[in-house]
Amino acid sequence: MRRVGEGHSRLLLIILIVTALFLITLDLRGVGVLEGARQGTQTVLSPFQKAGSVVISPIKNFFSDVTHLGRTRNQIEKLRVDNAKLRADLINRKNADAQLGQLKNILNLAGTAQYKIINARVISQGSSQSFSQTITIDAGSNAGIKKNMTVLSETGIAGVVKDVYPNTALISLATDPSFRIGIRIAGSQQIGILSGRGNRSAGLQLIDNLTDVKVGDILLSRGSVANRPFVPGVPVGYVTAVDNSAGSIAQTATVHLYTNFATLGVVAIVVGAPSTNPGDALVPAKPQPTPVPTVTIYITPSPTPTN
Amino acid sequence: MITRQISISLPIFLIIYVLQEAVVNQFRLPGGGFSLLLIFTLVWAVLSSPEIAAFGGFTAGLLMDLSGSSSGPIGQWTLLMIAACYAVSYFGSGNESLYGNPLGFTVFTTSAVFFVEFAYVVTGALLGVQSGSFAQILITIFGISLWSLVATPIFLPVFSRLHALAFNTRSAI
Repeated sequence: MRRVGEGHSRLLLIILIVTALFLITLDLRGVGVLEGARQGTQTVLSPFQKAGSVVISPIKNFFSDVTHLGRTRNQIEKLRVDNAKLRADLINRKNADAQLGQLKNILNLAGTAQYKIINARVISQGSSQSFSQTITIDAGSNAGIKKNMTVLSETGIAGVVKDVYPNTALISLATDPSFRIGIRIAGSQQIGILSGRGNRSAGLQLIDNLTDVKVGDILLSRGSVANRPFVPGVPVGYVTAVDNSAGSIAQTATVHLYTNFATLGVVAIVVGAPSTNPGDALVPAKPQPTPVPTVTIYITPSPTPTN
Repeated sequence: MITRQISISLPIFLIIYVLQEAVVNQFRLPGGGFSLLLIFTLVWAVLSSPEIAAFGGFTAGLLMDLSGSSSGPIGQWTLLMIAACYAVSYFGSGNESLYGNPLGFTVFTTSAVFFVEFAYVVTGALLGVQSGSFAQILITIFGISLWSLVATPIFLPVFSRLHALAFNTRSAI
């Protein structure tokens, strides 16, 4: 009797494993039904993600406030004198103001290069269990977004549209290990390929081994055919370290990406690029050192000594 | 009997999946956070017979494959979860040192999470999936494992009761 039970158990296990292997084969062969299933799931999930974003927002703000308690102690002391109504208003508006600030910077960036953009709010972050770096935004094909469009943050490139659903889209972030972008160095125009590494530090590989790259060099996107997946001229990051090891086939460097992926609240999707390349117009200005006021005291001795 | 169990189990898996995608993923936890569905399925597997565990692994794996953030081909998570749940159930089901011992249960589940994530990276590499630098993979695997160690005891009583509800048994934890 036990043998019969074990036989059934093994048969079930074999059927399930064969089904899984069958699914992997179908997906690797690019059968559209499976991709449709993934898109359908995302379409069904998007209202829940939007609702979750709204519900979780105050809790996230609370934890953010707790994390930054030390830094904002003085600010909190100042706010204590305000009345309760003002404080409640501030808490409610905090999220909106942060997103507004990001949106303003995005519009400035896109306006300088004359990109036609669609703004969208980040409604969910992809799970890290699969080692991918993705976000979901609240705009999709109904808003005119298509696959392989450039995604901007307030400071530069954020990623690329990976999948589009009617009301949402999945963005592959520049930190994703599978992310690749052709870049050129502002000024010297050297070209190379930048790869995501799973965090804000990306890897750069220059095409020409004879050229020099320096710490502090600013990288811009080189642009793709028909501006997809990447429009030209978008700031990507700056070089923080150069690998000058002898015998390497191509020169490599470490790049710090401009976009702060931890605080992404609003992004812009470039749906139309200008016919002319913006060149180095979007190179971010270097931070200006704050001048320290100096006080000069002139002492003139009086002709007659004072008592 | 089996129809009743499936009709109760399936919505539970779906609810946990929606909670993971709509709520848990909203928190940008350092080190990758935790996967509620993964923990739930492994706990479910320990409490079930190997056949039921494999079936649960198949359901959860398929849902994880359908997630937009899944980087591998559809079926990768399914295959892994079937194998993992069967193995977890084989070693854990009926194990007296785990039943009634939440600490042992938590450590066992967390270890299973660690091995599942590690297996995902290995199978992903075989299938040509980009998983990032070695250091980043280590950080993510250890991050997810540590978060699982924290989250498992919190959710364990709920998961145990849900299993008892589906299978009409007494809660083991």
